[in-house]
Amino acid sequence: MSNAVILDPADRSPAGTQARGVVQAWHRLRRQPSTLFAVVVVAVLVVVAVAAPLLAPYAPEATDFDAPLSGPTADHPLGTADLGQDLLSQLIYGARTALVVAGGSVLVAMLIGVPIGLVLGYKGGWYDRIGSRGLDIADALPGLMVGFVVIAILGRGMAVLVLAIGLVFCMNFARMTRAITLTERKKLYVESAHVSGLRERQIVFGQVLPNLAGPLAVQAAVFLGSAIKVEAALSFLGLGLGDDQPSWGGMLGLAAEHQADRPLMAVAPGVAILLTVLAFNLLGDGINDALSGRRTTGRRRSAVLGRLRPPTPPTLAEVRTARSAGPAPEAEPQPAPAGSGATPDDDVEVPADTVLDVRDATIVADRPDGSTVTLVHGVSLRVRRGEILGLLGESGSGKSMLAKAVLGLLPPGVRLAEGSVRLNGTELAGCSERELRAVRGTGLGVVLQNPQANLSPVHTVGRQLVDVLRAHHPLSKRDARARAAELLDLVGVNDVQRRLDQYPYQFSGGMAQRVAIAIALAGEPDLLILDEATSALDVTTQSQVLDLVLDLRDRLGMAIVNITHDLGVAAETCDRVAVLYRGELVEVADVVDLFDRPQQAYTAALLAAHPTADHDVEVIA
Amino acid sequence: MGKLVAYRLLFAVPQLLVISILVFSLTYLVPGSPAAAMLGTSATPEAIAHVEAQLGLDRPPLERFVEWFGALLTGDLGTSFRAGMPVTDLLAQRLPATLSVVAGGIVVALVLGVGAGVFTGTRPGTLADRLVTGGTVLGLAIPEFWLGLLLTTVFAVQLGWVPIVAWTPLTADPLAWMRGLVLPSLALGVTGGAIIARQTRAAMVTSMSAPYADTLTAAGVPRRTQIARYGVKNALVPVLASTGVTFAILIGVSFVVEKVFALPGLGSLMLTSVIGQDFPVVQGVVLVTATLVIVVNLVIDICYGLINPQARPQ
Repeated sequence: MSNAVILDPADRSPAGTQARGVVQAWHRLRRQPSTLFAVVVVAVLVVVAVAAPLLAPYAPEATDFDAPLSGPTADHPLGTADLGQDLLSQLIYGARTALVVAGGSVLVAMLIGVPIGLVLGYKGGWYDRIGSRGLDIADALPGLMVGFVVIAILGRGMAVLVLAIGLVFCMNFARMTRAITLTERKKLYVESAHVSGLRERQIVFGQVLPNLAGPLAVQAAVFLGSAIKVEAALSFLGLGLGDDQPSWGGMLGLAAEHQADRPLMAVAPGVAILLTVLAFNLLGDGINDALSGRRTTGRRRSAVLGRLRPPTPPTLAEVRTARSAGPAPEAEPQPAPAGSGATPDDDVEVPADTVLDVRDATIVADRPDGSTVTLVHGVSLRVRRGEILGLLGESGSGKSMLAKAVLGLLPPGVRLAEGSVRLNGTELAGCSERELRAVRGTGLGVVLQNPQANLSPVHTVGRQLVDVLRAHHPLSKRDARARAAELLDLVGVNDVQRRLDQYPYQFSGGMAQRVAIAIALAGEPDLLILDEATSALDVTTQSQVLDLVLDLRDRLGMAIVNITHDLGVAAETCDRVAVLYRGELVEVADVVDLFDRPQQAYTAALLAAHPTADHDVEVIA
Repeated sequence: MGKLVAYRLLFAVPQLLVISILVFSLTYLVPGSPAAAMLGTSATPEAIAHVEAQLGLDRPPLERFVEWFGALLTGDLGTSFRAGMPVTDLLAQRLPATLSVVAGGIVVALVLGVGAGVFTGTRPGTLADRLVTGGTVLGLAIPEFWLGLLLTTVFAVQLGWVPIVAWTPLTADPLAWMRGLVLPSLALGVTGGAIIARQTRAAMVTSMSAPYADTLTAAGVPRRTQIARYGVKNALVPVLASTGVTFAILIGVSFVVEKVFALPGLGSLMLTSVIGQDFPVVQGVVLVTATLVIVVNLVIDICYGLINPQARPQ
């Protein structure tokens, strides 16, 4: 009967920004139509409840023996009950009952639950361990059962009903308060190692209570709705207030007895409950969204926009002057020179062994207001068979977006606006999912950054390899497994038969990344894209995996695009390197040339910022 | 797997013990004497004393608890004051209907919830998503017993598609049993389904945009396999973890829904016992439902262990 509200702890605003947050929250609240609807419904309800004696045409218990159980008439728009009581008046007074009981019980739930939560969260240790276990055990009692028991013990009545429903929800408040108190307390310990007892308490509660206000408001709104449902259920069963007290649940109880002769009697009270509960739920959602700064209106927001900086200042020139790097022959940054062999123009003939041919790729993200942000600006690249091209750049330079565009895996709201992406001469830009699927795995494969997250945590490694293999070849299960074992062997995983039946969490980072490479190789792709594939690994593991990549290139002759922010990795593995900065291609050059004689100021600045870059070049050269 | 089951059973035992202590102490919470409360104001002191002796209220609580708990272990929950029957017999009569409707509600909640959650979670932001998600918002707010009332009014009373008195025991006629359970299960399962749908949707969006989804997509695994095998299984991990609470709610609500469909379950027994302050029966019903919730949670936790390898004890 209660709706579990799962609050994201990250949704809470920090205490310091609370005052400003409230104003902002109010503005956001107003922009949500569903919340506005909820506010209006609740406001109407409150007015009806308060002004019930003025609005109701009759007293709710007044009988009219001339018209018992009448259908809708001019005198009684909703009809009458057994003794001719006016149902419209009962509905209006029912709002009063619903709000008073629900409001009272949520207050009781907070008065009991919040202090329990504060004590458990603040005291911690054994208090918390025993208390939390107690809360878990209380979970075994369905909420309504608690209500039944309280009424069985204390009998019927307003106070009992409020207490009964309050006890149903108090555990939820206790749990939430405990979680928030615990978080704030931990934060405090991280910030200041030792504080005296009194100050600690002040700080904790000064910190906890403001953070508690938002989630409490959300919970309270939602539980008001739930409490109205519980009150209606108990009244429906005849366990609510006295029989002479009008309530929506009691009206439905009467309607249940007259299903056959007065089928419409159930409509009005049911709709009243539905609308009220809906309004409180939406209000809770609205407050939650407003507090967390999430917007429910407007168009689908691009998932990456939050992390994007507009690709404006500082310009390349500014970077150059700021860093005043050594060899900077050119005053103005230019796109990498055409005709250098690296960036093909349309009229330039494409060599026959070209695997990937990207021309003038421009990637944009759509903003909710209809404007766009350019993430990658007119980049052209070409990779030949057996070649490893490094894509070098700092975070946010657009290198990963470029790779995702090649793979057709751009996040929602981000798209390739202009340019062409050709794989073995076949245009991929504008391809449907179905067409893309034909090249995925066989044409190109990818290994992403986070080794553990690249594999499904709840499937065995063997299962994942087999599924990929069977997506490309009509293999029997046994054959697919044998082939999966070969692949694992190829990427240097030992004890393959046992490893196939293990889950990703049983693999180290380096081993998991080898498995990810095996998955990428399962379809025998012509192009392998490594998107920061070794960045999360320690240096030793990193070089082992890179050695594997070089070895695989030699054995299988694929083209490889190695995306990295690490100059060392680029120097160690790549034949050529393309440097990206703020979505623009700065320079493409042979790896030795690039490291020895950077043509562009940004490249030079990048190299200068890396203490070991020179050393790496020497190793290579 | 055996280890997981044993471990979970081990946790269920203290949980049941604490619940039974709580249930036992109920009679001590009654203001004044529970015997007087049960017998009403016109009771003679002798009658009250007699009932108090029957309840054991004249003896020390600990001694009574040991006796009560010992009887509980042999399946003896005392005697109902109203029906004059052993509580165990009363519960045994009512349990089949409650178990049937709760099982039906769970099936409906899971099918509706996971179905709607997967449907919306694989197409977030589309019109279809917004319509179905809007439906779940309604599903959360609708009172289950009102939905049941509407369903019987339309399909039983007006259209006559299903009998008005729905209950047929499974052993009497399995087909009629199922037919009778359709509407109650629907009424009971919709809210649970809405809760599960919202959780599944969120989990599905997460699992379909996780790096492993990109890895598999890029490796050429078709979207259908991706959803059916990888999306759903990964999404079920967080969903299952919170499903126990949903089912506890559902069992409680079945007590109300039962009345609408005139099902002879624990709910109506509880209702008459609450009104008549028949404490041994109230205690029995609470114990049985708590046990039911604990068993369902046990099953869910074992399923969780089957799905999530890291939840299995190593």
